[in-house]
Amino acid sequence: MDSKPIPLPAPGTRLDWRLDPPYSARHLAWLLLVLAIILVTGHRVEMDRMAMMSAQAVGNLIGISDDSQVVRGLSRVGQSMWPPVIGDQEEVARLPELDRNKLPLFSHIEVQQRTEQRLNPQTLQLEQETETIEVLVKPVGYLWTVAVKMVETLEIALWGTVISVLLSIPLAYYAARNYSPNRYTYTFTRGVISLLRSAPELIVALFLVLAYGFGPIAGVLALGLHAAGFLGKFYAEDIENADKKPQEALEAIGAGKLKTLWYGVMPQVAPQYIAYTLYILDRNVRMATVIGLVGAGGIGQELKGRFDMFQYGHVATILLAIFLAVFLLDQFSARLRARLM
Amino acid sequence: MIRFESISKTWPDGTRALSNISLDVPKGQFCVILGPSGAGKSTLLRAVNGLTQPTQGSVAIDGTVLTPATERALRKRVAMIHQHFNLTNRMSVAGNVLAGLLPVVSTVRALLGWFKPEHRAKACRLLGHVGLSPEHLQRRAGDLSGGQQQRVGVARAFMNDPEVVLADEPVASLDPKISRDILALIRDAAKERNATVLCSLHQVDLAREFADRLVGMRDGRVVFDGIPAEFTDARVEALYHGVRWEDAPKADKQPGMPALEVAIA
Ligand SMILES: Nc1ncnc2c1ncn2[C@@H]1O[C@H](COP(=O)(O)OP(=O)(O)OP(=O)(O)O)[C@@H](O)[C@H]1O
Ligand SMILES: [Mg+2]
Repeated sequence: MDSKPIPLPAPGTRLDWRLDPPYSARHLAWLLLVLAIILVTGHRVEMDRMAMMSAQAVGNLIGISDDSQVVRGLSRVGQSMWPPVIGDQEEVARLPELDRNKLPLFSHIEVQQRTEQRLNPQTLQLEQETETIEVLVKPVGYLWTVAVKMVETLEIALWGTVISVLLSIPLAYYAARNYSPNRYTYTFTRGVISLLRSAPELIVALFLVLAYGFGPIAGVLALGLHAAGFLGKFYAEDIENADKKPQEALEAIGAGKLKTLWYGVMPQVAPQYIAYTLYILDRNVRMATVIGLVGAGGIGQELKGRFDMFQYGHVATILLAIFLAVFLLDQFSARLRARLM
Repeated sequence: MIRFESISKTWPDGTRALSNISLDVPKGQFCVILGPSGAGKSTLLRAVNGLTQPTQGSVAIDGTVLTPATERALRKRVAMIHQHFNLTNRMSVAGNVLAGLLPVVSTVRALLGWFKPEHRAKACRLLGHVGLSPEHLQRRAGDLSGGQQQRVGVARAFMNDPEVVLADEPVASLDPKISRDILALIRDAAKERNATVLCSLHQVDLAREFADRLVGMRDGRVVFDGIPAEFTDARVEALYHGVRWEDAPKADKQPGMPALEVAIA
C-alpha cells in the first residue's frame, strides 16, 4: 500500500481515451496456425478416414449405404461375445476328489454324449466315435470364478492405494516448497516424484513380475509406486497453495513446522486429498484389471487367458464384471465424498 | 517490556517501511499505534515476533534480544491477533483455540489431537470469556460471523498465557459495537495477566478510548507519542491529512498546522 495520492490531471487537459478492440491481426495469425496444426496432425492420425468410415457406418445402419467395414467388424465381435458365459462344466472323470453326495452349491451331474473324430490306428481312417461322459454342470460357475478374480483385483487396487498414500505423505512434505527443509531435498523429492509418475504401471509391473514372480505382489507394488508419484505431486501442490493466513498465525506463535502443517494446512486441504485418493482408488481398480495381462495378478490374467483362447463369451462376462465394479465404486466414492466435504 | 532500538526496515524494492524507530513499551501497557495506510504499523508489530526482519536495530522483550537463536522461544511468549482472524476455516472452533497451545504441546499429542483435560477446560473457559457458547465448540471456524471469528482469535491468543499480545488491526473489518467489545476483551484479558499489548488501529475514537498510550506513525517514523488526552483533533488531522512528513513545513512556522513532536526515546 502506498500513501501517495493518485495524481489527478490538471483541469482542462484533454484526455486521450483509447480502448483497443478485442481482436487483432495477431489473433488471426494464431487462429490460422492452430487450424493448420489441427489439419496436419489430424491427417497424420487418420482422423479424416475415421470420419469417413464412421459416416459410412451410420449410413449403413440407416440404410443408405450397403456395406460398412466398421459395422461388419463390430457385429462380428458382438456375435462372438454374445451371450456372456455364466455357467461352467467339468468332466467328472477329471475330478477325482468329487464327492457325489456332496456336490458344490447349485451344481448337478449331467450325462452327455460326446462325438469325436478319432484316427483309427489300424485302418488309418478318421472315425466318428461317440462316448458317454458325466459332467459336473455349474450353472453360475464361471460367474463365481470371475467374482473371485474381481475381488482379488479389488484387493490389489486397495493395497496399491494404501501403499501409494503411505509413500506419498513423506514425498508431499519434502516436495512442498514451503515445508521442505532446503532446496536440495525439494529438488530431489520432485525428481523422485517425476520418476515415479513417468514410469507406466504396465512396464513397472512387467519388471516387478521378474523380481517378485507372478501374482499380486508385483501388481500392488506397481500400482502403489506410480500412484505415489501422482499423489505426492498433488498433495504437495495443495500444501503450497493453501491459505497462508492460518499458517502465519501458527508460525507467529512458534508452533513448529509439522504442527503448523497439521493444524494450519491439513484441515484446509483434506477434502481435496480425499478427492485425489478416491480418484487413485478408482484408477487403481481400472489399472488392476489391466496389469494382470503381464501376470501381476487379478482378473487381467483371466482376461488374457480367455482372449488368447478366442473365448469371447468369457471375455464378455469379464468386461461386464469390470464395468459393474467401476460403476459401483463410482457410486460409493460419490457418496463418501458428499459425506466428508 | 518491549524495547525497539533504532530499528529500520527497507524492503528489497527500496520501500523504507521503518526509519530508525526507538520505542519502549512497558509491561502491562495497552499501546495503540495509529497512522495512515503504509505508515509501517504492521511492519513494526511484525518485527516483535520476527515475522519481519528489521534491516537495522534490534527488538528485545524483557531484555532478551530477538535473534534467530532466540526467535522460537520468544515467539512462544508473544501472541498475535490478526486483521483477517487467520483461523483455520475448515477446523472446528475448539481446534482453532487449542492450536494456540501448539508451541507447548508435544508433537505426538498435537498430531493425535489429544490435548490434556486441563487444556481443554482452559479452551472452554476462554471461549466463554470471549462470549461464545458451548454450541460453537464444534462449529467450523469459517462458518462463524466476522465478530465471532475474532472472538475465537482472541481466545486462541490467550491460550498460552502470552506476555505480549500483538494485535494488527484486530477490528478493521468489524462493526463499531463489536469492535468495541473485542477491544475490551483484549484489554481486560491482557490486564488480568499483566500482558503488554501492541495494537494498531484505524479508528481514532476507539484508540482514544482503549489506549494507555498512543503512538502515531507516518512514513515509517513515530510522529506522536503520548497519552490519549494529548492526541487532539488537530493532531489527528495532521497525522492523516498532512502532506508527506518530509515535505511538511516546520509546524511552528505555519499557523494552522498543528505541531507534532517527534518522539525519540
Ligand atoms: N512484503 C513487502 N514487500 C515490500 N514492501 C512491503 C511489504 N510489506 C509492506 N511493504 C511496504 O512497507 C510499507 C509499510 O507497510 P505496512 O504494512 O507496515 O503499513 P501499515 O501501516 O500496516 O498499513 P495498513 O494500515 O494499510 O495496514 C508500505 O509502503 C508497504 O508498501
Ligand atoms: Mg497493516
